[in-house]
Amino acid sequence: MNTDELVAHGRARFEHAAARRTLKEKYQGKLTFAYGGGMWRAGPELQSTIFTCGKIGEVVLLDLYETPVKIDTTELMALSQQRWQEQMNAWLVEYEELNQNR
Amino acid sequence: MTTGALIFARNNEQIDYEAMAQWSARNIERHLGIPTHIVTDDAPNDNTRHFTDVGNVTWHNHNRMDAYRLTPWDRTLVLDADYVVASNQLQSILAVDQDFLAHRWAYDVTGCNTFEGLNWFGANRMPMWWATVMMFRKSRQAELIFDCMQMIRDHWTHYRNLYKNTTVTYRNDHALSIALGTVNGHTLNHPGIPWDLASLTPEHKLTQVDQDCYRVDFINTENKSRWIELRQDFHAMGKQQLGAIVASAC
Repeated sequence: MNTDELVAHGRARFEHAAARRTLKEKYQGKLTFAYGGGMWRAGPELQSTIFTCGKIGEVVLLDLYETPVKIDTTELMALSQQRWQEQMNAWLVEYEELNQNR
Repeated sequence: MTTGALIFARNNEQIDYEAMAQWSARNIERHLGIPTHIVTDDAPNDNTRHFTDVGNVTWHNHNRMDAYRLTPWDRTLVLDADYVVASNQLQSILAVDQDFLAHRWAYDVTGCNTFEGLNWFGANRMPMWWATVMMFRKSRQAELIFDCMQMIRDHWTHYRNLYKNTTVTYRNDHALSIALGTVNGHTLNHPGIPWDLASLTPEHKLTQVDQDCYRVDFINTENKSRWIELRQDFHAMGKQQLGAIVASAC
């Protein structure tokens, strides 16, 4: 085993992991939005929660601050889906650039 | 409800904070659509602080807690002059039903530094809350936080000893962290800005590519030159490089 190659490989993996983590930090912020006085993070978890409410219209959900907020399921779902799709597409573009640089 | 931004800016021997604040105010207007007031009043009891890029300079950081008293708005965004607004991301914290928000965590955008020593302070590893970006609305909670910061500033030696803080120089971040703990009954459970503070340390080279795009050149752990593009808000800890960008924009 060539230990120099092993060290170089390990360092490269470290750099790549750090870059991926930084990218995640960035998009965690971009997925966050305010609605109805509450703070929300767009994504499957929020959308599943809205879906499991089992009704269309006003319901009360806990926001990111664990504060109960009255929301309209249709409006919040639309906002979450739109932001989720926009930011995931942007995330993918940057992720592919990162892999190419690697 | 009125909303606006507040930036504290007082020049020292090396850094033109006022120019930085004026430049930032234009970015805030463009991205967030809110006005900015720049506070340039004299501050008492100034510090000296060493920055790796500019050396020892007078550090006018003692009047941040006056934000509550000085702001003309119901809801205020307090930003450091070296915080770069390059997106509308902060709009969400201006629309949320909270009295006071700040960042709990900061991270290095290059991934070179862990910030382990910056996200905590003191021998007891107290969690650090960053005063770089603060949102508050006129409320008893916010007033208490700023009053408490003032009390901590006025009795800094006592609080430094109490929290076993080895940093002699007064820092707003530390005062804010202690104040949040005190006001919230030492529960360590304060609402924060729900994303981490993107930060750029002074050893990396920062240049502007276009209006809201910045390039960071750095040396990675493999000792290789790397660069990334930033199209997001970030805290430029290298004041000299940001100062050069601001100067070229004026």
